[in-house]
Amino acid sequence: MADLAVRLASLELRNPLLSASGTFGHGLEMQYLSPPERLGGLVSKTVSLLPRPGNKNPRIFETEAGFLNSIGLENRGIESYLASTLPEVATADCVIFTNIGGEREADFVELARILDERDEVDALELNLSCPNVQGGKLPFGTDPKTAESVLREVRKVTKKPLFAKLSPNVTRISDMARAVEAGGADGVTAVNTLLGMAVDWRKRAWRLATKQGGYSGVGIKPVALRCAWECAQAVDIPVIGCGGIRSAEDVLEYLAVGCTAVQVGTASFSDPALLGRLAGEVSELLDAAGIDSVCELIDCMERPLPASV
Amino acid sequence: MILAVRPPAAFPPLRAARFFMLRRLDSLSPEIPRPFSLYRQVGDELQFLIKVMGRGTRALAATQPGESLRLIGPLGNGWPTLTPGSVPWVMLGGGIGSAPFFELIRQARAGMDGGAPVPADQLTFLYGGAHAGFLYDIEAFEALGVRVVACTDDGSRGFRGNVLQALEAEWDAGRLPREVRLLACGPERMLEATGKLAAARGLECWLSLESLMGCGVGICNGCPVATRPDGPLGAWTNAKCCVEGPVFEGRAIDLEAPV
Repeated sequence: MADLAVRLASLELRNPLLSASGTFGHGLEMQYLSPPERLGGLVSKTVSLLPRPGNKNPRIFETEAGFLNSIGLENRGIESYLASTLPEVATADCVIFTNIGGEREADFVELARILDERDEVDALELNLSCPNVQGGKLPFGTDPKTAESVLREVRKVTKKPLFAKLSPNVTRISDMARAVEAGGADGVTAVNTLLGMAVDWRKRAWRLATKQGGYSGVGIKPVALRCAWECAQAVDIPVIGCGGIRSAEDVLEYLAVGCTAVQVGTASFSDPALLGRLAGEVSELLDAAGIDSVCELIDCMERPLPASV
Repeated sequence: MILAVRPPAAFPPLRAARFFMLRRLDSLSPEIPRPFSLYRQVGDELQFLIKVMGRGTRALAATQPGESLRLIGPLGNGWPTLTPGSVPWVMLGGGIGSAPFFELIRQARAGMDGGAPVPADQLTFLYGGAHAGFLYDIEAFEALGVRVVACTDDGSRGFRGNVLQALEAEWDAGRLPREVRLLACGPERMLEATGKLAAARGLECWLSLESLMGCGVGICNGCPVATRPDGPLGAWTNAKCCVEGPVFEGRAIDLEAPV
């Protein structure tokens, strides 16, 4: 059996498989379909300072090769998260990431300050890139200086590992990755959803109430893989790859281009038991290829193939 | 069409109006499964009444006998327990919204939750559609031994008008007492009107909603239903249709709110 353990910044993960924020509930909603003890870590749905009712219906639409959503970060706010969700999540046998989001730098700082006091939380993921809040136009999603500043200010209030989830909707994602690294991030998650749209021309109706939304799923994989690679090339901190992953092959492709871990998102909607199965499938692929540890594959594209293969 | 699926292990009897997410597993079909109410449970077979509307249902309709499907469920909460009593139950089904009523009628006639059977004369099914072609499998409903009133907009079968007009007609003709308990599933406008009528007359009312769903298991937040702050679901603005529904008490939700 190949060794799947990876070290992600200061975190020891039993395997490189994480849930992507917003596709796995807040807490243990999926524990029977994909048990946490088979995952490297759980990433919560984005928690905001105040409750957010989310966007209007329709919020989802499946396209030819992917999935559009415009949920709008519906959540009951940090107070409810701390009181009801976190105690439950704390029982999960895997690394716990709380994903936080806000519309101002101060929101992130306040959330990080509050969560810093909670030992149940192993790491924070900063959602700098939600396309469904202010149309994805939040400055820290696209402006390196603002993003760096958010990380710098958050860094001051917590010692927990910080991962910055980046948007692919930028000209050069490597600039964003370097900026958050300079601000003190311990890692980068690449990427959030692509801005997308679908319409019904017959009814002249937008498929999403907000007209545009976040595009995810199998169709974005080549774009996301390129983004993850670009980030991995640009920074020394680890990169978590995310976008269109639905098989063990996909997982290993992301590792090969330099990711230390990956997140599975939309595929959990199609198959909620997938994430729980993936570790076994990754292990089988590695065994078949005669690879002892998944770490051997990380950033392997430019290394020569071992003589035996 | 009726899609019959035999899961690897048989399910115990399932509460009517619970649903399954179904997906065809070939690589050309949509990735996201679609929600379907259980229509009939026959032995270890689950049957779904499916109206072909878009890509998901087209893919399912193209399924060949012997093919494997992905089936996630049973999900959601199902209808409440129907009990016999002085207040009869009236079921309003609009088009494909008839699906969750078949098992309900059978279960009520047999007694739900180990309780007493509901006599046939305490169950009325008003089945509506634009024309007779929309009254899917109506013969199967008629064979259940309860009163089935066919309603069509064009009068091509049964009562001419919609199910709510049919209900008024039943009342006016004295075939139903003024106090009834309502169960409805169908187009949103029909449910909205049913909820309004129930509120105006102080009638017990349960609505089974249809919604786009991304996951069916409460994780994607793609199926919000606006709640009434003073209703039994509490103050949060949205309920999740998949895990808190698909059956809601009429007074719990606000179908007129722009969700």
